[in-house]
Amino acid sequence: MRALLASLRDGRGFDISLISITMTFLLLFCGVPLIYNAIMSFQEVDIFNLNTFIRPWVGFDNYRALFADATTLPIFYNTLVFVFFSIAGQFLVGFALALFFSLKFSGSTYLRGLFLVSWVMPGLVVGAIWNWILSGDFGILNHVLKYIGVISDNIFWRSDIHFSLWAVIIANIWLGTAFNMILLSVGLAAIPNDIYEAAQLDGANAIQRFRTITLPMMRATIGAVVSLGLIFTLQQFDLFAAITSGGPANSSNVAQYRAWEMSFKEYDFARGATISVLMIGVVMIASIIYVRSTKQEIRG
Amino acid sequence: MGNIFKSFTATVLLSSSIIAANAMAEDVTITIWSLDSDVQPAQVFAKEFSELDNGIKVNYRRIQFDDVVSESMRAFATGKSPDIIAVDNPEHALFSSRGAFLDITDKVAASSAINADNYFKGPLNSVSWEGKLYGVPKATNTIALYYNKDLFKKAGIAKAPGTWDELLSAARTLNDPSNNVYGLAFSAKASEEGTFQFLPWAQMAGGSYKNINQPGVVKALDVWKTLLDEKLASPDTLTRGQWDSTGTFNAGNAAMVISGPWELNRMIDEAKFDWGVSLLPVPKKGAQRSSAMGDFNYAIFSNSKHPDAAFKALEYFAAQDHRLFPEFGQLPARSDITIPETGIALKDAALKVFLEQLKYAQARGPHPQWPKISKAIQDAIQTALTGGATPKAALDLAATKIAAVIK
Repeated sequence: MRALLASLRDGRGFDISLISITMTFLLLFCGVPLIYNAIMSFQEVDIFNLNTFIRPWVGFDNYRALFADATTLPIFYNTLVFVFFSIAGQFLVGFALALFFSLKFSGSTYLRGLFLVSWVMPGLVVGAIWNWILSGDFGILNHVLKYIGVISDNIFWRSDIHFSLWAVIIANIWLGTAFNMILLSVGLAAIPNDIYEAAQLDGANAIQRFRTITLPMMRATIGAVVSLGLIFTLQQFDLFAAITSGGPANSSNVAQYRAWEMSFKEYDFARGATISVLMIGVVMIASIIYVRSTKQEIRG
Repeated sequence: MGNIFKSFTATVLLSSSIIAANAMAEDVTITIWSLDSDVQPAQVFAKEFSELDNGIKVNYRRIQFDDVVSESMRAFATGKSPDIIAVDNPEHALFSSRGAFLDITDKVAASSAINADNYFKGPLNSVSWEGKLYGVPKATNTIALYYNKDLFKKAGIAKAPGTWDELLSAARTLNDPSNNVYGLAFSAKASEEGTFQFLPWAQMAGGSYKNINQPGVVKALDVWKTLLDEKLASPDTLTRGQWDSTGTFNAGNAAMVISGPWELNRMIDEAKFDWGVSLLPVPKKGAQRSSAMGDFNYAIFSNSKHPDAAFKALEYFAAQDHRLFPEFGQLPARSDITIPETGIALKDAALKVFLEQLKYAQARGPHPQWPKISKAIQDAIQTALTGGATPKAALDLAATKIAAVIK
């Protein structure tokens, strides 16, 4: 008995009780909804039986119907394009800015802080502003591009099927860059300065130092940033709602927006859940990468 | 002692009978949900009705447009639904077909305040399901063609276009890219708004959602495609709603716009030119007219505990229909109400046209699966207009999808 109490106060029991609080919370608010969502994808769920648990079981019908729909594959392809280019853009611009601000010129820390403003803004507000910027007939972006002579005719960013997805990608890159920059800045700050000094003494130039010191030392941070980016990008919903509503002709529709359309526009909750289940699979893979990359974190 | 006891008993008896009498006179409270704010009809009428000395009190709750269906469904399923709800007309059938709304056919037949024959056919159709009445139209609206008279005069066009061909040729003449003026503005957005704007064209050509791929409808979509291909309308027509499209007309960036009477007040404030309203152009001279029908309906939930009190409220609302336009700028869904002149010449002229157009307004559906039908139509419009398929092929696909839904 005393041993048990002692273990609860300071020992395995204590550890377990701490963990169990978190685990209960996670299971209740993440596990149960996940399983519930998966079950829904095998049922027929409309707005009238949404409140009951006993619903017609339809097996893989929802999955079959989803893939029989001609719009599904283009939407998944759009999702891939959106995720890849959003992350690439956010990461490259964010990394460049992080390196720039790591030069520590006067005022650099304040300027870096200002960049966070974009991260603080709600997605719908960002979307509404980009909506104006990207507007075809009187948008500022077209005006600027015309003025500097890049284009001669207005580009209808939101309404041209060749540009609509890119319109959202551009806005998303702007939105996510600051977050990438801050995380990467932290990673850069953690690299001990003496390594660079030693390399410099050995005659390594800036590019060599970047390739052989910065990049390897940043591996864990980059892994974390990219996988978090994947999760945030797959979550991105507001920008689609505000800029293109997935249109025209689904040319800028992505899985997460389609899932919402299915559930809350067409009231087909089962089909919406089906898309979510597929997306969860992708996020799981990202999470594994994230966990693995943070595990090997080098502590300076 | 005995006397004291007697009088005590009497007091107890007396007071308990007073309590009983109070309980009998206690008001019935009904709940009304609608999206109207405190200066819009549902909430104003509900308050007035509550203040009448008729033993019925009203508990009003305002809900957001996007939440109407989901909130009321959840409430109905858990038995906590309001007594009366205001619901968007294409969604009415979803509820009535599943028995969520009360069949008020007999109540209406016995009522002196509500007479089904007084309502326009379109709105009445939207509250009907299999020959029974499941609600009362709250107000109505439709769409017609607004045109910039100054630009028409400058281009030498005498009157507003009456047919699709005239519309196209007027748009071509009026189109003036160097001055940022498009011939026409409308909305082909991938939302209910797109369906709302396209169905009148389909119906004028003899089609409907049930036969969306017949030649007349294909022709209609062809005209839309021509408008966009020749840049007679802004490419942003594909992603812009009616409100924003009309904004470009008000700013002088479009010579015509297809929209509804809800724009009148804003247009009078914003438009710095002479304008008029004309009936929607038809496929060819003498063809049947049609238009869209918008706005909400009132309905009583079938699990309401006070259906009679709730119906009394609906009767009160219906009796106030003549106030809808003068006080709230909304059109009553009834043919027996003459709308008084406002004294603003542009508005009064426009109103006449909208009232004429209302006679041809058709309800969307009614069908319990309307959102899916509507989505198929939106997809067809968007695919055809972006060149993903020919209008014929796009509408064929829509017809297949709709057939699967309504089978």
